[in-house]
Parts: sequence; structure tokens; C-alpha cells
Amino acid sequence: MTAQASSPAAVTSVFIRLKLSLLRNGLRQSGGRRAAYVASAVVVLLFAALQLIGLIALRGFAHGDSLVVLLVAVLGLGWAVMPLFFPGGDETLDPTRLVMLPLRPRPLVRALLAASLVGTGPLFTLCMLAGSVIAVAHGGAAFAVGVVGVVLALLLCATLARAVAAANVRLLTSRKGRDLAVLSGLVVAVGAQLVNFGAQRLGSSGLEQLDPAADVLRWVPPASAIGAVDAASDGSYGVAAAQLALTAAALVLLLRVWARHLTRLMTSPDGSTLQTDGRPARERSATGLARLLPAGRTGTTMERTLRYVWRDPKTKAAWVTSLAIGLIVPVFNAWQGTGSVYFACFAAGMLGIQMYNQFGQDTSAFWMVAMTISSTRDAYVELRARALALLLVTLPYATLVTVLTTAMLGDWRTLPEALGLSFALLGAMLATGAWTSARFPYSIPQEGHRNVAPGQVGLAWISIFGGMVGAALLCAPVIALTIWLNVSAGGDAWDWLLLPVGTVYGAGMTVLGLRLAAPQTARRLPEILTAVSKG
Amino acid sequence: MDASAVRVRGLWKRFGQQVAVAGIDLELPAGKFIGLVGPNGAGKTTTLSMVTGLLRPDQGSVEVVGHDVWRDPVEVKARIGVLPEGLRLFERLSGRELLAYSGRLRGLPGAEVDKRATQLLDVLDLAGAQHKLVVDYSTGMRKKIGLAAALLHNPEVLFLDEPFEGVDPVSAQTIRGVLERYTASGATVVFSSHVMELVESLCDWVAVMAAGRIRATGTLAEVRGEAPSLQQAFLELVGAGGRDAGSDLDWLGGGAR
Repeated sequence: MTAQASSPAAVTSVFIRLKLSLLRNGLRQSGGRRAAYVASAVVVLLFAALQLIGLIALRGFAHGDSLVVLLVAVLGLGWAVMPLFFPGGDETLDPTRLVMLPLRPRPLVRALLAASLVGTGPLFTLCMLAGSVIAVAHGGAAFAVGVVGVVLALLLCATLARAVAAANVRLLTSRKGRDLAVLSGLVVAVGAQLVNFGAQRLGSSGLEQLDPAADVLRWVPPASAIGAVDAASDGSYGVAAAQLALTAAALVLLLRVWARHLTRLMTSPDGSTLQTDGRPARERSATGLARLLPAGRTGTTMERTLRYVWRDPKTKAAWVTSLAIGLIVPVFNAWQGTGSVYFACFAAGMLGIQMYNQFGQDTSAFWMVAMTISSTRDAYVELRARALALLLVTLPYATLVTVLTTAMLGDWRTLPEALGLSFALLGAMLATGAWTSARFPYSIPQEGHRNVAPGQVGLAWISIFGGMVGAALLCAPVIALTIWLNVSAGGDAWDWLLLPVGTVYGAGMTVLGLRLAAPQTARRLPEILTAVSKG
Repeated sequence: MDASAVRVRGLWKRFGQQVAVAGIDLELPAGKFIGLVGPNGAGKTTTLSMVTGLLRPDQGSVEVVGHDVWRDPVEVKARIGVLPEGLRLFERLSGRELLAYSGRLRGLPGAEVDKRATQLLDVLDLAGAQHKLVVDYSTGMRKKIGLAAALLHNPEVLFLDEPFEGVDPVSAQTIRGVLERYTASGATVVFSSHVMELVESLCDWVAVMAAGRIRATGTLAEVRGEAPSLQQAFLELVGAGGRDAGSDLDWLGGGAR
């Protein structure tokens, strides 16, 4: 077997069969996972068919070519970042698994490339590329260019993913790589918001907005392949040939890079046998900040909480999502002229969520905190410190978002009441967050994308949604006052009053919430530890 | 002061149908190096968790240095150090930051914490890795930093759950050295293990646990009795002494036939 198997064609067929077995084995898992697997495949295929129809329908639209070029560029970007965010997605992506096999680089590259063209992802890409060609091609020559372009672009996408994976395999198999994978959910969440607003904006002001970007991108592979089709449709065959050549050159270059990394990977020791981090440790401590924080438990806990915002991938992902969405929603709405200053409260609400499930964020390391809490006072100081750490970020941020939204709308008269509402909401969120942290804690698994441990979903719902409804109800007096001042005759003159009222109300709520949560926390330490140790 | 470091009365813990700890009474003398031994699943971790206040018992009482763990946590928590098994540390802190955090959380003055942390990091051979995040530590290094955090406030009683599990011989020797020096000063160490040789070489007082009950307690010599080694005595105590696998696997070894 060894002698024949190393002939290039045989290696390629072995790898394709390996990929097919891996796909098939995806179906052979437990019922739930099989259902999820089939469902995701169906969704991808459905989506592929839909966008194919959509692209075909786009044919003949003015500036349709710009949209198509942009889509293909985004597709290429997707292929480039995918291996970084989903390193476990394709097991054949990790060439170090093949290191014990007697394989030469060239046949291996060919075989791996062929194998990476098997799957739903490449099928989706093929549909999209074919649809793009149909959308922009006019005339036989353009379609001929299109066929070549689709093949080149597909190969380019697959090679891009492989080359990125091979170049970063040491990162991907290390702890930092796994941290990065946890952050990928955030890219999806924030990206979805941006795409949403981008689409709205296009819908309102037309596709010609895309032209400047597309004019650059049609010279960037793999979008250049579609650029070539468009150029051929216009009769500029020289440009088309240049763009095709550019795509081909990029493909060759990437194949070279990939082959070189592959050879180096297969012939040098892999990451697991090397020291993970050989560099001398940097002084990471935020000594400047630490000096400004108060002494004792308050400062210590604040410092640890803030460090975790930056260093713990799960916490960081949650924070960045909150910060980004809290900014995007009010500011983008204002930018489109559809917003209102009150939307700025969204920032306070999103950030207030971070107070929820405080001890679950500690994971089972909560025992270190539990061992030092022996009275209600200790619990109160601990919770207060966590709330203060949050406020250190959220207070300036909510203010900034509110001012920014106001500035974009030019509605300065509403600023005080919007700020007052924001602070009242933030205070109510902190209060309910502290209380539900003590009463309904749940585990956050450290690996993967899930944010709730199996069996605790109900608990998480009570904690978050119950808390949010509670916070809204707690804010009711301030909201009522705002409405009353706005509708009553002469009330406008007193609008500014809402800023101090909201601030004091929010602060009062927070203190009250912490006071109520502290005895719960102190009494329930073992129960909280058990609840947060399931991840 | 009371002569016993830990006094346990009628301690029970059930997890659903499973009885993890079935009503144990235990009195551990102060100033001794005490081993809690038993096979996997004997209830050692559950017992230690309840004794240190990390798990609420269904029934029974626990006193540490004369104070009830559940009624008087202020007195107890300041006097004990814990290294649990299977629970995380704040792993996104560096070794030094973890010690600084846990010392200050216990109310020690900052300068004192930093002085003690430096000494502990030195003695435990972690000085070179003090700025590395704990998440990147090896098992041995994690146990050592956990031990350092447990010792930082100079507790009277130290509870260690499987402190040598998965630890390399060099780190194990370091941990041993620190623990021996600590007990020599009159403090009490209670540690759990299923490695009899280790317990025999380290401890002067032993409690044997199996299936949620205490089978024997006393000095090493008392528990060992007539048996040649603690291992032998232990196997007899838990009723596994007579089992011999020899007759079933008579085909195993001796070349292919």
C-alpha cells in the first residue's frame, strides 16, 4: 500500500475520501448534534439557492456590478478569517495531523486543495460566484471569462483559507488561538449590526454609494475575477485579461506561500513541544490604575474585575459586544435621521447587563472569593466593588454615547433628560444585576460559544430577562416623570431637573440593590459556588 | 487552646440517590501532618469541601480550631487555608497578581502581601514564571501557586485536596519541603491522597475513608498495625486485600501462544 498510495492521484483521492468520511461522521453523532448538523447544512444550501436567485434577479440593475464585486470581496475576506475563528471547523485544515505520513509537499498541496473544495462552504461559494457571473455577464466572451474567473476565484478562496491556517497553525493550537475563537461570536454579532445598518442605508439612498469602494475592490483578488467578467461585458478585453491575470497570479503566490509553510510545519517540531511563550514576561500590571483605586477589598476586586474585562475572552467578548451595540444602535439611527436621543439609553442598558451573573463570570474560581467572605459586610463590599468597576467604564461611556447621539440630532434640549434616564436605567440594571447574581447564578462554560451550561438555561433566562423587566419597572417613576414633564403645559422649563433626579434615583437604586443582594450572597456562598462550577 | 484542629460530628451528604458521605465522626489532632486516605470516590473531596465551608452538609456539624464553620465563619475563614481539587483559580491573573489579589482580599496590608508573595514565589521555585498568566501554567505550577495562595495569610490549619496529583517529582519535593517546614512550626496540615506510599512517608496521623465512611483513624503505627505497609493495611481495611487477579488472566504475558 505504501508504494502505490504515494502516487499523486492516489493521495488526492485518499484526501477527498477522508473529507467525505469526516462530513459523513458529522451525521453519526448524537441525535441533537445530528439534527443541528443537518439543519445547518440545509440552511446553508437554502441560503445558497436564495442568494443565487437574488443575484440572477440583480442582472441588469444599474450599479449591480458594484454590489456583486463587493459581495465577492466580502466572501474572500470570510474565507481568510474563517480558519482563525473556527479552527476546529475542518480537521483537514491542521496539517500537523499528517506529519507522520510519508508525503511530498507538491502532491500534498494538490490533495489538500482538492479536499478543501468538498463541503457545504465551497458549494455555497460556487453558487455565489456563479450567481455573480450571471448577474454581470453580457455576451459570450463575458461568460467565457466568467467560467475561468469562477474556477480561479474558488481555488483562490480555498487556498487563502489554507494558507492562513498553515501560517497560523501554532497560534491556532495554542491557548491564544482558542481565546481568539471565543471572540469570533462577537465579530458575528457586531458585523450583523453593521450589515443591517449598511443595508438600510443602501435601501434608502441607492447602490451608487458602493461605486468608489467597488472601483478599488475590482482590482483585488478574488473580486478581480468578477471585475474581469464585468470588464469583458463592457468590451474592455484588455482590462478583463489583466484582472484575470491578477487573480491567477494571486493564486500562484498563495499556493507558494502555503506550500512553504506546509513544508516548514511538516519538518519542524509542532507547537505543543515548544514553550508556549518564550518571551520574557511583560510587566502587565496596571500599576498606574492600581494606585488610583482605593485600598482593601474594594480596590483589589475592582482591579481584578477590570483585568478580566481585558484578559478573559468570554468577559471581553461580552463587553465588546455591549460596547459596540450600545454605540451602534443609537448613533447609527441618529445618523440616518430616524433616531431619537432616548435611544442613547440603549448604551446604559447594554452595559448594565454586565452586572448580571457576576459570580458565574468568576467560574469555579469563585471559591477564592467565597473563602474570604464571612459577613454580610464583606459581601456588600465585594458586590459594590464590582459595580464600581463597571461604573468606571459605563458612566463615561453612556455619557459619551448620549452626547454623541444628541450632537448628531442637534437636539440639545433633550440631553439632560436623556442622560437622567440613562443613569436611572443603569442604576436599576446594577441593582437587579447584583440581586440576580446572588439569587440565580449559573455557569458560563469557558470553551466554545455557549454562554450557559447545559441544564441552566431556565436559570439564565430568569436571571437576565427577569432582571431586565425588573429594571424597567424600577425605572418607571423616572419614565413617568419624563412623560409628565413633556406633556404638561410649562413642563418643558423643568426638563433639566430630570438629570439630577435620574442620577440620584439610579444611585439610590444601586445602593438599595447591593444592600439587598449582600445578605443573600453571604448566606448562599456554597450554593452559588455549586451553581457556577458546572462549566 | 483546644487540642483538636478539626472536629466533625455526624456529617452527611447525599447527591440525589448517591450517598457521598455517610455520617462521619472525626477528630483531627492539632499540630500534626494528617493524611486523609481512601480510594477514588470514597468521599474525601466532599468531606474536605464541607469542612472548609465550600459545600453545605445535609446534616452534622464541623468545628475548626474550636469554632463552628457554619455559625462562626469570621473566626474560621481567617484561620484556614485551602487548596481544593477540581476548582479553578483566577487563571487570567499572573502568578504574582493572583497572590496579591488573594492576600489583599483577606485583608492583609499591601506591602506585607507583596513581601510574603516574593518569598513564597522564591521558595516554590515560581519566581521565573511570576508574570506569566496562571492559565499557561503546568499542573505542578498550578498546585504550587495554589499552595502559595493558601499559605499567604499564615493559616493555623491547611486543607489540601490531592496536592500531589499530576505533579512532577521536582515540584512534589518542593511542596513537601514547604509543608514540612510549616508543620514543624506547630501548624496543622490535612491533606487527601490515594497514594499510600506518599501518605506513609509524610504523615504522622492518618484517617482512612472508604465508601463515605471512616474506617480507621490514629497515628501511622496504629492504623498500620501488624501489616507490613500502610498499603497492605489499607487494602485489608477496605476489604480488597484478598482479591487476586492472577487466575483470570493466565494467558497474559510469556510471549505469544
